[in-house]
Parts: sequence; structure tokens; C-alpha cells
Amino acid sequence: MNLEVNGARIFARIHTGIPVLGDFLISETLVVSWLVMLIITGLCIFLTKNLKVENISKRQAIAEMLVEAANNLVRNNTGGNKFDKLIPFVSALFATSIISNLISLVGLRSPTADLSTEAAWAVVVFIMITGTKIKASGVGGYLKGFTTPIPVMTPFNILSELATPVSMACRHFGNILSGIVINGLIYESLALASAALFGMFSSFLAKIPILDVGIPAILSFYFDWFTGVMQAFIFTMLTIMYIANAAEE
Amino acid sequence: METQSLVTIIPWTFIAQILNLFIQLYLIKRFLFKPINEVLEKRRQLADKEIREAREAQEKADSLKQQYENNLSSAHAEAAQIVSEAQKEAETKAEEMLRQAENTATSIKAKAEADIAQERKKAINAAKDEIGGLAMDIASKVVEKEIREEDHRKLIDEFIDKVGEAS
Repeated sequence: MNLEVNGARIFARIHTGIPVLGDFLISETLVVSWLVMLIITGLCIFLTKNLKVENISKRQAIAEMLVEAANNLVRNNTGGNKFDKLIPFVSALFATSIISNLISLVGLRSPTADLSTEAAWAVVVFIMITGTKIKASGVGGYLKGFTTPIPVMTPFNILSELATPVSMACRHFGNILSGIVINGLIYESLALASAALFGMFSSFLAKIPILDVGIPAILSFYFDWFTGVMQAFIFTMLTIMYIANAAEE
Repeated sequence: METQSLVTIIPWTFIAQILNLFIQLYLIKRFLFKPINEVLEKRRQLADKEIREAREAQEKADSLKQQYENNLSSAHAEAAQIVSEAQKEAETKAEEMLRQAENTATSIKAKAEADIAQERKKAINAAKDEIGGLAMDIASKVVEKEIREEDHRKLIDEFIDKVGEAS
């Protein structure tokens, strides 16, 4: 068995000549990301068509339910209306994450299977956490926070602070990547198994991976659906929690 | 086709994804949250308005009811007063009529009695005259002599009175 798991394909390479940033790669990640954005935006436009105050359509009910769900999620986890400005950001993050994760179901490569994506989100969240902390206790208070409870702890505090975005990005990326790897392994091994099993009857049947029909779908329910939804939810929840905690300090 | 390595951070992809996230944030805000929140706010206002209006209507109805009740009770009192006044008036009138009738009856009775007495007197007088004339005739026949009426009138009257008393 020879399984190869590759990174995102590169469709085009735009040479920029900037030393550190390197070439701009039109990769699968970016193309599918734009597709995801199109899907989300299209869905929003579709759901909010013909809005009415009374006698609403099913579509509008779904849209209102989504908005209420986002409102409730943020309000319940931050305990109040203090972070209402965060709701659209959290929703955008969650929607992008979940659609990106689930788009692998139609055979496209998830943008979240590229560490660049999660790193970008995690850095944005990290900047927001830091910004909230500085807003809550001032620059001095923020810097002084690293020396608690004793000054010796400063390097560890800095490390733990930096670990936040790294762990968030790597948790999400790792889960999605492992899903891809495991799915690849399952397909390959089931193909081998069916070749061995049906090869006993005829050499023609051995070429058709019969066991690959149905069985991976069941496993995909966990590795694609469950992990995809779960990771999107975890990433979003962590974002809310970290920012809410940052404001309390 | 060329592929990027499995675990790597491409700087431009990283930047593009940050921008994508913020573009998505704007789009989701513009196309989902803004219209839906507007509708929710409108609905909230409508509900508030309806509740307020219902409360006002209730208050109005209550005050109207109070007013009607007051009117009704005053009307009842008025009606009772009118009835009692009418009763009193009728009573006094009846009494007066009764009294008047009694008076009339009494006066009629008195007059009738007086008439009767007068008639009786008249009849007695007439009878007296008759009897006087008769007595005279009888006496003149008895004595064969004309008794002058004028001379003996007094005598006759005395006689008649005596007869009257005796009878």
C-alpha cells in the first residue's frame, strides 16, 4: 500500500519579488475559500430575501433563528450584552469554519486543511484578545499581568500567551488533516481488502473496490461531519471565552 | 500539478485568509445581521405599540364602564325618587278628593234635610189652613152662624196647634 497525502494544489504562481513574503500562490485553499465565502454570502442573501415583520416565511424564520442562536451563544458565554459587537465576527468565523470543513464532503479540498488558514484566524483572534486585555487594564496593566503571580513566571506567562493562537490553529488544522489522512487510509485499505477478497473469484472483480462503497460514508460521518462541526464550534467557543476572559482581567 | 507542502504557512495565503475573514465578516453583517436585526427591532416596536394600545383601550373601557355605572345608579335613584313623589302626590290628591266628596255629601245631606224640613213645614201649614177652613165650615154649619174668619183665626190656630201636638 502506498498512500500519499499532499498539500493543497497550486493553480498559479504570481511572482511578487518581495523577499520575505515570496510568491503569491493561487492555491486550492484560496479558490475553495472564495467559494465558501460565495456560498455563505449567497445563503445570507437567499435567507433574507423579502423580509417581513409579520407572517414570515420559513426562510426568514431560519435566518432569524440563526441570528438569535448567534446572539444567544455570545450572550450566554460572556454573560451580558457587553460583547454584542463580537457577534458578527464570531458568526463569520463559525460559518467560514464549518462550511470550509464540510465542503470536503463534495470532494473539494477544505481550506482548513491548510495551516495558513487557521494561522490567519488564530492570529486575528490573538490580536483581538490582546486588544481587549489592553483596553481592560491599559498597556501597563497588560504588561504587568505577565509578572503575576511572581516575576519569575514572566517567561512562562509569555509562552502560555503565545501558546493560545498556536494551540488554537494547530488543534483545528490537526483534526481536519487527520480526517483527510484517515479517510485516505480507509479508502486505500478497503480497496486492498476488496481486491484480496474478490480477487479469489475473478481478476475483473478485484479491480473494482467494492468495499469502498458505503463503509467510508459511515466513517466519514465521524471524521468529516462530527469533527468538522466540532472543530468549528470549539474554535468559536474558544474565541468567545478568551475574549470574555480578557475583558475581566 | 505542483502542490504546496502539507504543513506549512504560505505568507500570502495567510494574509489573504485574514482579508477573507474580514470580508466575510462584512458580508455576513451586511446581508444577514443588518436586515434581520432591523426586522426584529421593528417587530419588537410593533409588539410594544400593540401592548401599549391595548392597555390604553383597557383604561378607556374601564373609565367608560365606571361612568356608565355611575349614570345607571343615579338614574336608579332618580327613578325611585320620581316614583315616591308620584305616590305621595297621588295619596294627597286622593285624600283631598275624599275630603271634598265628604264635604259635598255632608252639604247635600244638610240641604236635603233643610228642604225636607221646609217642605214639611209647608205641608203642615197647608194642612193647617185646610183644617182651619174645614173647621170653620163645620163650625159655621154647626152654629149656623157665620164665623168671621178674621175674628176667630187665633182661636182656630190654637186649636190646630193643640191637635198637632196631640197627634
